[in-house]
Amino acid sequence: MTNQTKSQFIAVASITSELSAVMVVAKEISLAAANAKAIAFRAGDKAKGFQPITDFINELAKETIELVTNINIYALVLYRLTVEEYHKTIAFNKFELAAKMAEGALYAESMQEPVDQARLAMQDCQRRFKKDVSQLLGQLEEVMHHARAARVIAANSRIEASQAGEYLQSLQAVAESVDKAAHTIHDNVQRCRIALSIYRNS
Amino acid sequence: MKMTKIYEGSHQWIMFGRDEGKPGNIVDTNQYVVRTPNRCLLLDPGGAELFAPMMAAVLHHAPVDQITDLFASHQDPDVISSLGLWDQALTNAKLHAPALWEGFLRHYSCDSIEYVGIPDNGGTIKLESLELQLIPAHYLHSPGNFHVYDPQAKILMSGDVGGSIEPPDSPVFVDNFSAHVEKMRYWHQRWMPSNQAKRVWIERVRNLDIDILAPQHGRMFKGDDVKRFLDWFDALQVGIAV
Ligand SMILES: [Fe+2]
Ligand SMILES: [Fe+2]
Repeated sequence: MTNQTKSQFIAVASITSELSAVMVVAKEISLAAANAKAIAFRAGDKAKGFQPITDFINELAKETIELVTNINIYALVLYRLTVEEYHKTIAFNKFELAAKMAEGALYAESMQEPVDQARLAMQDCQRRFKKDVSQLLGQLEEVMHHARAARVIAANSRIEASQAGEYLQSLQAVAESVDKAAHTIHDNVQRCRIALSIYRNS
Repeated sequence: MKMTKIYEGSHQWIMFGRDEGKPGNIVDTNQYVVRTPNRCLLLDPGGAELFAPMMAAVLHHAPVDQITDLFASHQDPDVISSLGLWDQALTNAKLHAPALWEGFLRHYSCDSIEYVGIPDNGGTIKLESLELQLIPAHYLHSPGNFHVYDPQAKILMSGDVGGSIEPPDSPVFVDNFSAHVEKMRYWHQRWMPSNQAKRVWIERVRNLDIDILAPQHGRMFKGDDVKRFLDWFDALQVGIAV
């Protein structure tokens, strides 16, 4: 296996593992939102400004989960494509070797067509991989966008929490956990993007 | 890759083996090619490592598009792990292999090649006007196993039966049977699991008129050595590991 193929396998595998961590965190956010909603309900008027925020957090978590689910399907496609490219590359190399070894053989020329076909098939895989990576990077960008929005909301939540009297602490804890989760998502997705960016369509 | 023509008539048999470029840690194999005017059949085409030298060797005898048939006596990697590569190189080919192994052999990739499953009781392969017989050899050593008999050339390609491990430069025919026996004993005792299967196979093969017994490993047997081999094998206890 060439180093290029190896690192491609690792890049694709790392997406899947980073994303499964993102999924866990997004579910945490969704839980935090439900928690916050209950507290805000109990706090009544004191947490009036907080209620729409909890809905928003919940929405954001749901969208992130949906997005990551989609991206995971994409990652699987990328994995299959990597396997296919690996096989096509081996075939191309072996066909070229066979053609070279057959030099001088009566029917050596008939090997040219399989060599050409294998080269095309291999290049096609590389092209498709680059295209799919570009699309995946776009989707990851969207998740980053969500994570940034979540951090803004967390900051707003802190301000609203400060007006919630005896509920201040519990609402602040909610804001805190959303902020932390958003941070984690941001970091993980960033790592995915770095791992993939070398394969981007240039 | 060494090439030896072992039959020349209206069609040809060529034996390929003793590949000097083969990595030292994989078992040496013999591949056989049956060439008719416009078609070409590869018998036990070999492992993935052997694909390029094998293809290059075949190109001395046939163009790629006339390689129309492959045969795998059983599922072992030294027999047919090159399948995925032939599958990408050949656009119009059939693989004749035990029906029992189809779901397993497809792990090597068999998409453009048509898998023609051989039923347990055997069958034939037609190559233009030539008809080859597929002789059941189950449990010798694989549970789904066939040999190829050519009644015209009087050759029996016998898969792992008759096999021996030889140094890379050894001759392709047995020249001293009694000396050769020691190279085959453990091979047959350890790889062949069933005395009953052996007995049935010997009975069947004794009815065939055989000039050359052509195994997938080691040396071929010619003339009287064929009968010597059958007698020796008949008397041998196999399945010794239990
Ligand atoms: Fe075997
Ligand atoms: Fe074998």
